[in-house]
Amino acid sequence: MTDNEFHIVVLIKPVPDMEKVRFDVEKGVVDRSSAPLEINPFDLNALEAAVQIKEKLGGEVTAVSMAPPAAESVLRDAIARGADRAVLLTDRRFAGADTLATSYALASAIRKLGRFNLIICGEKTVDGDTGQVGPEVAEMLGIPHIAYVTEIREVTKEKLLVVSELGAPYLMELKLPGLITVTKDVNKPRLPTLKDKLKARKAKVEVWSADDLADVADVSRFGFSGSPTQVVKVLVPPMKKRRSQIFKGEDAVDKLIEALEMEGLLR
Amino acid sequence: MREDIVEALKNIVGDDWVVNNPEAVKSYLEDETEPGVKVEPAPATDVVVVKPVNAQEVSEILKLANREGVPVYVRGGGTGLACGCVPSKPGVVISMERMKEIEIDKENLMAVVGAGVTLGELLKAAAKEGFFFPPHPGDEGAQIGGLIACNAVGARAVRTGPMRNYVLGLEVVLPTGEILRLGGRLVKDNTGAGKLMHLFIGTEGILGVITKAVLRLSPQYKATATMVVPFNDRRACLNTVPEILQSGIIPLGIEYVQKKEVELTAKRLGLEWPSKEGEYYLLIMLAEFNEDTLYAQLEEIASICRKNGSLEPLLAETPEEQTNILKIRSEIYPTLKPYMEDSPDITVPPANIGKLIEELEKLERKYDIYIPLFGHAADGNLHPVIPVKEGWTKEQYEKLRMEMYQIAVKLGGVTTGEHGVGEARKKYLKLNLSNEAIETLRKIKKVLETTPSH
Amino acid sequence: MVFAEQHNGKIHPVTFELLSKGRELADRKEVELSSVILGHQIREEAKELIYYGADKVFIFDHPTLKEFDSILYKQNIVSLIREEKPEIVLIGATHLGRSLAPRIAAALNTGLTADCIDLQLDEDGELIQVRPAFTGNILAYIKTKTKPVMTTVRYKVFKARERDPMRKGEIIEKEVKVVEDTGTKILGKIPREAVNISDAGVVVAGGRGLRRPDDLKMLEELASLLGGVVGVSRPLVDEGWASKDRQVGFSGNIVKPKLYVAVGISGSPQHLAGMKDSEIVVAINVDPSAPIFNVADYGVVGDLYEVIPKPIEKIKLRKMKL
Repeated sequence: MTDNEFHIVVLIKPVPDMEKVRFDVEKGVVDRSSAPLEINPFDLNALEAAVQIKEKLGGEVTAVSMAPPAAESVLRDAIARGADRAVLLTDRRFAGADTLATSYALASAIRKLGRFNLIICGEKTVDGDTGQVGPEVAEMLGIPHIAYVTEIREVTKEKLLVVSELGAPYLMELKLPGLITVTKDVNKPRLPTLKDKLKARKAKVEVWSADDLADVADVSRFGFSGSPTQVVKVLVPPMKKRRSQIFKGEDAVDKLIEALEMEGLLR
Repeated sequence: MREDIVEALKNIVGDDWVVNNPEAVKSYLEDETEPGVKVEPAPATDVVVVKPVNAQEVSEILKLANREGVPVYVRGGGTGLACGCVPSKPGVVISMERMKEIEIDKENLMAVVGAGVTLGELLKAAAKEGFFFPPHPGDEGAQIGGLIACNAVGARAVRTGPMRNYVLGLEVVLPTGEILRLGGRLVKDNTGAGKLMHLFIGTEGILGVITKAVLRLSPQYKATATMVVPFNDRRACLNTVPEILQSGIIPLGIEYVQKKEVELTAKRLGLEWPSKEGEYYLLIMLAEFNEDTLYAQLEEIASICRKNGSLEPLLAETPEEQTNILKIRSEIYPTLKPYMEDSPDITVPPANIGKLIEELEKLERKYDIYIPLFGHAADGNLHPVIPVKEGWTKEQYEKLRMEMYQIAVKLGGVTTGEHGVGEARKKYLKLNLSNEAIETLRKIKKVLETTPSH
Repeated sequence: MVFAEQHNGKIHPVTFELLSKGRELADRKEVELSSVILGHQIREEAKELIYYGADKVFIFDHPTLKEFDSILYKQNIVSLIREEKPEIVLIGATHLGRSLAPRIAAALNTGLTADCIDLQLDEDGELIQVRPAFTGNILAYIKTKTKPVMTTVRYKVFKARERDPMRKGEIIEKEVKVVEDTGTKILGKIPREAVNISDAGVVVAGGRGLRRPDDLKMLEELASLLGGVVGVSRPLVDEGWASKDRQVGFSGNIVKPKLYVAVGISGSPQHLAGMKDSEIVVAINVDPSAPIFNVADYGVVGDLYEVIPKPIEKIKLRKMKL
């Protein structure tokens, strides 16, 4: 990569297929064997956005993940979908990370990669559903960010013109280097070709351990030890029961209105 | 509807489960049959809807109807395409929607389901326990009872065939009220019961009311993919299908769709058709137990396609991507519905699909008409659409329909491969069945309708 | 400390809900409840924060803060938190809140829990944050070992307390740190396009029970009174009464509003697939055995033409009084 090439980093989380995954209630953990890993659906939009920008400006797209070793196949999928390079952070010392420790590890990996112009993440992950990692990474790298981007209008090597949903849609400008998190509205990810899929099956995924980041990071801030939040208990909420109050007869409507008022729904 | 019959029905199922308010009855009068062949239902005021909860109640309803000489119409999800559930005469609609029992028998890889369970509910319950159920006729609101009575097929039947192949046991109520329990949690049953059971599958409910079934489940496949193969040439596209089958690979499904229709459908669904190339597509659904086998098959199929002039295939692997493609495929029919007079369900021997296309193209020229086309390519089953054409009379539509049917028959096929005969297409039955065969069906029905003398 | 989100000088209602919960936590811990608001010419509005339960309100008032800027907002809040050292910081889990909170948490190197639906105190007075995870299949109870404990809280899970204009409190004006160019800039607001019924908080949906296309207007009136939008079942789209973007169901839109009102919809599986995850379902149908009643919280068996006008009247009357 030469110095003036445009470099995009896409953060990708391998997640279980949420339709199939089962939860082990007794152990309080997700039964990882119950469903295969795939690219977090929102990250597909992030990757597609990156590839579209690369098609316009040239340069290189790097996919970065922090996940167990089995996630290599997910990163190969990212390569099939247009990433030029894939880095997997995998190490026991990354395990048990909350969003802060995850963001720290990812930000450290991006620092280690060296130059970057734009970082793109999905707005959230389907399993964690926090949407925190993107803005946290931006803060740790000291760059501006725009979250909930629903449309990318213009892109140059210096700045992005985007529409962001902040309660209402706003037209915003982001100076690069910067970070955006994108929603599902931003694009429709294309399907990879069989040829690209086959090629990616043989592609190499770079695997980095915690020690590989030691020169740019404080390894004690990785994983469980670097995580200030801890899950103390997990409950399976009781199945939502419908109230099933069906009114008949003359005063049925009055009863309905009364019930809705009790629920605070007629305000 | 006679007040005494409504009262008698209420005595059987309880007041809440008899519907005779005409406004409410309206929702139970129609199914999804194409406008051009739709059967006009009886007025809502002459129809009563009853919702039994078990076979015993169904039995009593049938006995009552028999006694009073009132026709009954069994209604499942109302997704049928042959007016099989439409009350064409004043009578009783038996809606199966309350028969919701569902048990996944993990040890035996089976499911025991009530007739009113929808396909969507079964798929979900099965997936939760790590199982899969291949038959997929499109609308997941279809109910199990209807799927069995109509021997539904759909998009994922190349490898394992129609609904019939999944039924291991049935609970059926005969027209005279006897409750039969046939087969069961058995993979094999060569007694009379197991054979008798098949009489009720695919006969569209004319011989009895299905109330419960034991179904075979398939384990969840570890590696699945849907390959979208674009072609610029229609015949090349369809002629590839028999070659794939002859290669020894049997996919879960091979579907044929065209650019115009899928793009229209995708737009309506707020989705995007994944391929920007080609005009004609094969959708090849594969399911294997490991990725290596899956990819070996994909490569083999792709090389057959390329040899026949295909463009570069696209590959959907994530559940969402695969679901979206299946959804677009499933929704072609409802999307085209406002523009269609009819959509014959013609089926020919799989190897004759190329010839079928040639004949349909001749019809397009002859009638100066665009015939949208989609279907289950590997089953030799296509759904050419007879579009609404300004100025055309009923006779003109009928003429085109008959020509399509005759082509199918000439090529060794039938007028319906999966949608069935129902009330809407009874008159075309003669094209497929000899008088003797029709008479034989009548005799069987007659026997089952005769109250036993004991 | 509660972050007060404002748009054009108007405080987002989630703020009042947070103040109410914050008040409860502060009273039990016997500490002060403070609030922070950033914006321009917001001194009047800041009093509202006291009326809704804050003891102290910190104001950052400056033209550059008129509109949201994640870096400017973060810098000023971070320095305030460093000075005031609140134990707990609550932020609404709105788009803005979820864009801002992580930046603050990362700057302070503290824990942040997203999108909580309940906050409790354990026996040691430590905050337990409850949030759904795995698409709501489980509830996780989370503790934070760093200070401040930071939490974003979902809108409309806590009830705001009554506004009390007699309530007294302290308003403290803070000096604003200004950065010339933060790298992001709002260039303008974009008018929202077509109805998006998937995101609507209230959906009033009509089905085959309606007699004429014009009758959808009646539903529109109810929907707008409830602050919602009109949806329809598939038959109405097929009939051409409504456009596809209004269709609720498997082949239309999947909706999960707080309130779903099904009017003259019997509840085919295809329809149920599109709305069964709604929080509260109200069904109005002439058919007591219609499947829609199986998924309803409240229902009326009756003629929709007699039922619907009544709540419309009732709400109108209420609005006139206010």
